[in-house]
Amino acid sequence: MSGDAMIEGYARALFEVARAEGTLDEVEDELFRFARSYESSDALRNALTDEHIPAEKRQAIVEDLLGGKTTTTTIQLVSMVVGSGRSRDIPAIVDSLVARASSAKQLDVAEVRTAVALTDDQQARLKAALENATGKSINLKTVVDPSVVGGVVATIGDTVIDDTVRTRIEQLKSRL
Amino acid sequence: MSLFSVATLAAGRVFPGAEEIPFDDKGYTTINPILPPLKELIPGTMASIIVFTLLAWKAGPIIRESLRKRTAGIQKQLDDATAAKAAAETEAVRIRQAQGDIDAERGRLYAEADAQAEALLADGRVRLAAEVAELEARADADIASAAGRSSDELRSEIAKHSGSAVDAIVRDTLDDAAQQELIENFIARVGASQGVTS
Repeated sequence: MSGDAMIEGYARALFEVARAEGTLDEVEDELFRFARSYESSDALRNALTDEHIPAEKRQAIVEDLLGGKTTTTTIQLVSMVVGSGRSRDIPAIVDSLVARASSAKQLDVAEVRTAVALTDDQQARLKAALENATGKSINLKTVVDPSVVGGVVATIGDTVIDDTVRTRIEQLKSRL
Repeated sequence: MSLFSVATLAAGRVFPGAEEIPFDDKGYTTINPILPPLKELIPGTMASIIVFTLLAWKAGPIIRESLRKRTAGIQKQLDDATAAKAAAETEAVRIRQAQGDIDAERGRLYAEADAQAEALLADGRVRLAAEVAELEARADADIASAAGRSSDELRSEIAKHSGSAVDAIVRDTLDDAAQQELIENFIARVGASQGVTS
């Protein structure tokens, strides 16, 4: 089985489990946030991918980290992926799961990165604005990413709407 | 008494000398300081003739043969010497010729060496000139490159510091209000636009 097929297989399994549990939206959102945290945290990534740490210990790290903050389903699903030695593929598996869930709901995933967290009101208005701009129904996923410095960058499929301070600084540096 | 004494006495009796002194036990004596008394002169002469005749008869051929052989040997030595002289002269001529050849060969080699040295020198001068020109060109290029690099590095350094300064200033400037303003501006701008697709 190729890497992509394996990732799709895990995503489908996670999707079916979450849908069967009736917590798909919540689990999808929690997994998305965990995947982004996994990407941005070297310590977490190293801990979950270190082959010298027994799988049980890595699963215990996941349970300690997510316990009380997410649903039990999310913890079990992440623990299952880590226990099967696929920690490196968590972001890809979760992205595939989110895409699959959005597709099931006839939605397009819009990943929005900001330097500070958006309020619920801002998220709602941003979702409406993106739906208006793209003409699509949007499944909004927000990520707090300090590297953007300021502003917002939204990615919907292949479309990127970038109005971040980071990009402007890069353009200014390039001109310099 | 010996045969000589007997002959002497007999001759003395046959040819007595005018100034002869009577015979004593020691023989006949004379007052002439050169010639002996006749009694001794005649038999002595006869004896000498006999002796020399015998010598000429018996020893002559041997002596002549010896002299002939000696003459032949000397002649042979002379011939050998002449031949050796001729050979030596031939060898001398050959040596002189060889020396001449050697001198000519030496001259040719010297001329050839001079020509080669001249060619090498000329080639070396050309190559040296080319190398010097190449080195000068490379040095010029290096200098130009170094100058350009220094300029580029300086420009890059200025850009880097400027970028860092801009980064730091912007981050310091972006307080929460500015962040919210940026987000609101984004929402308003995206909300106002339509038909945004890939």
